[in-house]
Amino acid sequence: MPTDTQKNLAQIQNWMQSVLVSPEFDSANTADFVNDSSRLSAERHLRIYRQSYIARLRDCMKNQFSALAFALGEDLFQMFADQYLEAYPSGSYTLNDLGKNFAAHLQETRPDAGSAEKESWIDFMIELANFEYSLSIIFDEHADEKIVLADDSTTDESLKLIPVFHLFRHTYPVCRYYLDVVNKNEPELPFEETSFCTVSRYNFRLNLLEINPAQYFFLEKLRDGESVAEAKDQTVYKFGFDAKDFENVWQMWRKNFIAADFLRVESVGAD
Amino acid sequence: MNKKTSPECVKDFPNPGFGLGLRSKHFNDILENKPEVDWFEIISENFMDSGGRPKNVLRRIAERYKVVMHGVSLSIGSADDLNFEYLTKLKNLAAEINPLWISDHLCWTGINGLNSHDLLPMPLTEESLKHVCKKIDQAQDFLGRPLVFENPSTYLRFKQSTINEWDFLRLMTEETGCGILLDVNNVYVSSFNNDFDAAHYIENLPHEKIVQMHLAGHQNCGDYIIDTHDNFVAPQVWQLFSLAWKLTNGAAVLLEWDSNIPDFDVYHSELLKAKDFMNDLPEIRNFETHKKSESDGVSNPLDFLVTDVSYELNR
Ligand SMILES: [Fe+2]
Repeated sequence: MPTDTQKNLAQIQNWMQSVLVSPEFDSANTADFVNDSSRLSAERHLRIYRQSYIARLRDCMKNQFSALAFALGEDLFQMFADQYLEAYPSGSYTLNDLGKNFAAHLQETRPDAGSAEKESWIDFMIELANFEYSLSIIFDEHADEKIVLADDSTTDESLKLIPVFHLFRHTYPVCRYYLDVVNKNEPELPFEETSFCTVSRYNFRLNLLEINPAQYFFLEKLRDGESVAEAKDQTVYKFGFDAKDFENVWQMWRKNFIAADFLRVESVGAD
Repeated sequence: MNKKTSPECVKDFPNPGFGLGLRSKHFNDILENKPEVDWFEIISENFMDSGGRPKNVLRRIAERYKVVMHGVSLSIGSADDLNFEYLTKLKNLAAEINPLWISDHLCWTGINGLNSHDLLPMPLTEESLKHVCKKIDQAQDFLGRPLVFENPSTYLRFKQSTINEWDFLRLMTEETGCGILLDVNNVYVSSFNNDFDAAHYIENLPHEKIVQMHLAGHQNCGDYIIDTHDNFVAPQVWQLFSLAWKLTNGAAVLLEWDSNIPDFDVYHSELLKAKDFMNDLPEIRNFETHKKSESDGVSNPLDFLVTDVSYELNR
């Protein structure tokens, strides 16, 4: 560090930023940069910024990953969040993507990385982190929501999925766990169990619904642009259903999907 | 809404009166009850990427109310260059909602591409004044309108500083034609933390360049004050407001509340208290008691910048 007191703007800002973001407080050069005041030492002045920096970003992480914070408990979540913020400090003008790499970071730093025996709870945490981040993206994604929802009178031929519609497959019951936390049911950590869910948005509100594997398969086909008839055929074939029996199943699904606001009427001349 | 180009001089900015910060907690209240608020200040970053509910609500609110765009990420004081991706989004949002003006803070948020998401204090030197003015010119040219800059609350003073903040702001306005957003609470907070006279600060600003004022609550932690925006306005801040109101000839007023946000009615009635302080200092009054807030004193709280998705679920 040069001994002159005439530090330029970039030097001052580099110094202050490094003090803010480093996990340990290095007060060595404080007197070169910051004045004491009548009530506080230069070091205490600086500490106000340090404390606010980490507290503010922790709060945002907890907000973006509220179910994960519940699953991990306050201390453990904060430890992971702090490590993450150190490894991936924000470079964005918005806080919306603060947690963008959190799931990847948990994967990179999983405590069982070196051992042959994998700890399954970590897989759950990673899936949950990914899911919560996805929800925040889906909530605010761009879409033309000027659509006509399907009703009982809509023919199968003109059924289409609504614009904001996402399918998730997890190795843990992530969606159920998330909803339990949101509904303040204080769920226990779940056991491994393949699960499927939809996250859809209509009228700017998110809908989360658990579905079964056949529904997941069927809706995936619709999402990929297949017609209802094609999706039905493929589902019957894939799951070895009896085609006649499946017709009754489809009528039930159709009713439920319409009730869940999954389906719209295909607009003429569009698509 | 018909498109008006923004005035070229901050002196020609309209005075919209008494406004509130737009917070997602109040979206439904505002849309349903259409309260008689003169104007709303939005946090630009909350809306510039939004393709969902926040943008949809903003469009509807901007149809009915006057709106000002207030940003936190311009980082005008950073030694880094301006971020033109950010400025482009700011410009697009402005084109869409036609704000009365666009404001940000005299601060830096990070360097070398990092964003601390805090409003960090400037070393107030000749060098930084020159640098800030150059960046303001660039930003104003790009956006095609004069910008407005707010005095942030500060918690330290740099050894290298040679210019008083009120002089720095005045020189900035003279050099670039930008306007000032006088945050009265921030003056009080900074003056307490850095040993200067708050009234002297306000008296020495170029009052004709003050486009808008901010009011907010803070937390007194004994030997320092944190700008928490989580409480009613403090009596000392109302007193300073009374002075500022007189000196600015009644600039537009906005009440900020960003943490422990109350119901809309409470928020609105706290704003309207400003009318009691417009002329003379009122007699000894019953001020709202300053309850110790539950938050642990984070300056510039940003909770409200991140959507609580669980709140937006259909259940
Ligand atoms: Fe402010």
